[in-house]
Formats: sequence, structure tokens, C-alpha cells
Amino acid sequence: MRAELLWLPLFALPLVLHNEVALTILVFTFILGMLAVSFNLIFGYTGQLSMFHAAAFGIGAYATELSMTNLGVSFWTGAVIAVFIVSVISLCVGTVCFRFRLKEFYFAIVTLACSEIVRLIILNWSGFTNGSLGINLTDTPTLWLPGRGVVPIVGTRMWYYLALVALIIMVSVCTRVVHSWMGRNFAAIRLNDELADTLGINVFRYKLVSFLIGNAGAAVAGAFYAFYLSYIEPNYLSIEQSLAIIAMVLLGGRQPVAGPILGAFVLTALPHVIEFSAELRVLTYGLILIFTILLMPNGIMGVVRRQRHVF
Amino acid sequence: MLQLIVGQLLNGIIVGTLYGIIALGVTLTFGITGIVNFALGAFMAIGAYLCWYLTDEIGVSYPLAVILAVLGTALFGLVADQSLFRFTRNNLINGLIVSIGLISVIQSVLLILWTTTPKNMHYILPGVFNLGWFIVPRMKGTVFLVLLAVILSTYAALTRTWAGRAAYAYAQAPEAAMLMGVRTQLLQTGVVVYSTALAGLGGALYASLYSLEVSMGSSYILKGVEAAILAGIGTVMGSLVGGILLGVTEAVGSLYFPQAYRDAYGLIFLILILLLRPAGLFGAKR
Repeated sequence: MRAELLWLPLFALPLVLHNEVALTILVFTFILGMLAVSFNLIFGYTGQLSMFHAAAFGIGAYATELSMTNLGVSFWTGAVIAVFIVSVISLCVGTVCFRFRLKEFYFAIVTLACSEIVRLIILNWSGFTNGSLGINLTDTPTLWLPGRGVVPIVGTRMWYYLALVALIIMVSVCTRVVHSWMGRNFAAIRLNDELADTLGINVFRYKLVSFLIGNAGAAVAGAFYAFYLSYIEPNYLSIEQSLAIIAMVLLGGRQPVAGPILGAFVLTALPHVIEFSAELRVLTYGLILIFTILLMPNGIMGVVRRQRHVF
Repeated sequence: MLQLIVGQLLNGIIVGTLYGIIALGVTLTFGITGIVNFALGAFMAIGAYLCWYLTDEIGVSYPLAVILAVLGTALFGLVADQSLFRFTRNNLINGLIVSIGLISVIQSVLLILWTTTPKNMHYILPGVFNLGWFIVPRMKGTVFLVLLAVILSTYAALTRTWAGRAAYAYAQAPEAAMLMGVRTQLLQTGVVVYSTALAGLGGALYASLYSLEVSMGSSYILKGVEAAILAGIGTVMGSLVGGILLGVTEAVGSLYFPQAYRDAYGLIFLILILLLRPAGLFGAKR
């Protein structure tokens, strides 16, 4: 069976499932799944523990909204501008980090510092970003549908299909990348970047390419997330957000490409399924994190794969 | 103006020793168990809340409350080590995630116990030290001296006692140390517990200076990690100097540049150090 067929039941799901809460959880899963899948390209496949991902996500969200209000462009143009801005910033951050050959922990710390600096700028640039109060988004993105013309994107079902399609596009792009010669270079860098260097792979260039593609994906996810939630705040760029993304990837499993989506699902769904107060929700989140890491070091997909080998 | 600068300098040094005590915990844990315990900030919060609860709600005298808070935090550290960190030795990323999960757990438990209202402890030591032409609040001065003493005696213990030298040996060559009779399991547990006790001490002293919030530790653990890296991870005195440097950079930086970007000055300093001297200010050249 081809793996692509696994997506089909998800298309049929809203026809049978009429529970709004469940669909909302799935929309969040898809959007955060995009975020986790794009991060996994940098972390899982190229082996670079970037802490800049939440920043790319947040800048994507802010840049989309701010270009819409200040330039008067549509949501989609705004998202393209956001991807461009995030790519330029990532290019600067990535060039500095990889030129100076920062690795592992040191790379994580420098990207974390850059991410915090961006967050502080957004937090304090009140005239432009409305500071810590955040922005309530009033515009509704529109979409051209064959036969129906331009329609506003409203309602859970519409977002469900939009997010699902976007997620599928992102997963297929990432799969393509991972299975191409580029992906093999990423893997070589992950396994041993000094050896990759001696084999003639331009380590700097491919680390940078992976960092750029991943962050661009995060920017798209940020645009969707912001407009689905209709609210943006500087906490989009918080360290907690970066860590939540790492947790999704580890929880779902680094391989295959779609693995992190499972992690996104568990971390968004489980605390919501159980009706808890906010404090208990944070508690369950922490416990899920701890016990999945201790019991399933290769994530949920790791367990699934092991089962497959047994039978 | 000069007085203002000196005042900020002193403030930076005092806050810097608080960073330094967390940095010391980060450095020790990283050197011996190979993980960065991000939950140290949350352990600091435990220490602070315990200390506040014991002095203001139960009525224990402050010095005794500090000791009890440190012991209590260390006990939590022991439980966390035996139930969680024992399984993530030398696995940076798993250790990171487990400690993050632990932060969520600790913070939510503190919230359930003591709600979100910030807690202010009553003044312990009112008055000021008069040092010639500038003054230091008595409590701040005391906190500084206590933290300094603890860091210095940790340094002495690590260089002078058998256990300390065993720790150094283990950090340099784990297998060789094991063969020489260093009980590694015990050493690792001991270091994790000691670092949580240090964080608890930092928290208990913090409680007498500032108001307590559940998330108070999150900025301190970041500063602690920054300070540890600034100095070069693995050097004990470096974490003190790194913490003080960071505190002073922030305090003096916010005199000349916008106050709102206070946190950024330390970060920029850190990035520059990492780019130009990757082994840290005092670390051996790579």
C-alpha cells in the first residue's frame, strides 16, 4: 500500500465526524504538524538542534499580518512576504552560525539567543507590533474555489481542509527533499559532518539550505496558525514554543517525514480530551513529555516500526 | 553619574552571583552527567516557595527556613534523579526534554498549591551597609556574601577533597575513573542532587529580595546557562565570573541603552563570545 493513501481517511473524516472540538483539535494538529515536520528537516534529518524555529514561526505570523494591514495585500501575498522575510533573517542567522562552525549545544544556544533577541524586539516595538498585548486579527483570509469563486475562509471544516492540504504539500515537499541528493547530503552531515566535508560535500551550504527550507515551512505554519486563532502575541516566539516543537518531533518520531505529526496530535489532543483546569493541563503535558521520552526513546513511530519488524 | 554607575555595577554583581549559583549547577551537571538540567530554574522556584512558606506562613526563623528549603529542594532533586534523570545520562536531548517536562510538572504543582498571586516575603534584614560613599541594602549584601561563600567552598571541595577530585577525574575520563574505584552512579546522583540544592539555595535567598512567581526560574536558568557557557563549561570559578559578567553587562548596558532590551545585552555578549572564543572566556583553547 502506498503511504499517500493514508491521507484519504482524513479527507472523509469531517463527513462522519460532527464534533466541533475534535475537528478543531485536528486543525491544530495539522498546522502544528506543519511546524514540526519542517523543524524535523533541520533537526531529524540534518542533525542541527535549532532553537530558532519558534522565532521563524512567530516572525511568519507577524509578518503576514503586518504586511496585510500596512501594505493592504491579501493573506496569500502576505504569507509569501512572510516566507521571504523569514528566509532573509534565517540566511543571516544561519550564515553566522554555520560560518563559525557552531555545533550541537553551541548552535542551540546561539540560535536560542537570536530567537530571544527577535522576541524582545517584537515585544518592545509597541507602535508596530502592539507589544505584549498582541494583535487581534480582524481580516479573514479568502480562497478561490473552482465553481464558487472567492470565498472567505471561515468555519472549522474549511480550515480543516485547507490545513490538511497545506500539511500534505509540506510533507510531500519534505519527503522529496529528504529522498533527493540534497537529503543524502543532509544525512551525511548528520552522521558525521567532518567526514562529509572530506568527501567534498559543502557542509556549510547544505546546513544553510536545510535551515532555510525548514524555517520557511515554519513561517507558513505561523501564518496559518495566526489566522486560525485570529490572535498573535510575542509568546509565539517563546522558548517554550521552541521546546514544544522539539517535543512533538521526539514524541512522534524523527522518521518517517510524517512522524512528527503524531507528536503534534498527542500534545495538542491529549490535554484537551481530558477536561482539566489549566494547571492540570500543564501537568499532564509535562507528564506526557517525560514518560514518552523515557518509555519510547524513538517516538511513537519508533514503536510502530518495531512492531512491524516483529510480525 | 559615577555613583549611578557604581550602584548599577554593584547591583549587577549581586544579581550576577545569583546567576552564578545556577551556572555552577548547570556546569557540574553537564560535566558529570552530560545533560543540561533546564529544570534547575524550577528547583529554584521550589526553594523560594518553600522558604517563603516556612517563614511567612509557619513562622520559622529565616536562616533555619533557608536551610530547610535547601534540604527540601535537594530531596525533590533526589526523587527527580532517581525516577527520571537516571535514565537520561549522557543523552543531551532526552535529558533536555525530560527536564522541560519536569518544569511543567513543578510549575503546575506550585500553581495548584499557591495560586498565581505573587508572594512577597516580609523584610528580613532592613537597613543598609554604608561603604564609604555608596550604600548597599543589608539583605542584598548578605545574599551576595552567602552565595560567594558557597561557590568558593564548592571550588575548594572540588579541588581539595577525594570526592571532588573523583568528580574531576570522571569528567575527564569516565572509564579510567571507574577503573580507579570512583563510584560513578553515586557520583552522578550526588552531583544532580547537589546542583538542585544550589538552585534551592539561590531560590531561598531570592525570596528575601524579590517577589515570587511560579515562572521566576525560567529567566534564571537561561541566565545560568548563558553564564556557564560564557565562562566555558566545566570551570567552577568561571561560572561565578560568568554570572557576574552577565549581571554587570545587563545592569550597565541598561544604563546606556534602552532598559527594555536589558535581556538582549547579555545575549549579544554571549553570541560574540561563542563566535570569537568558542571554548568560553576561561575554557581551554579547542
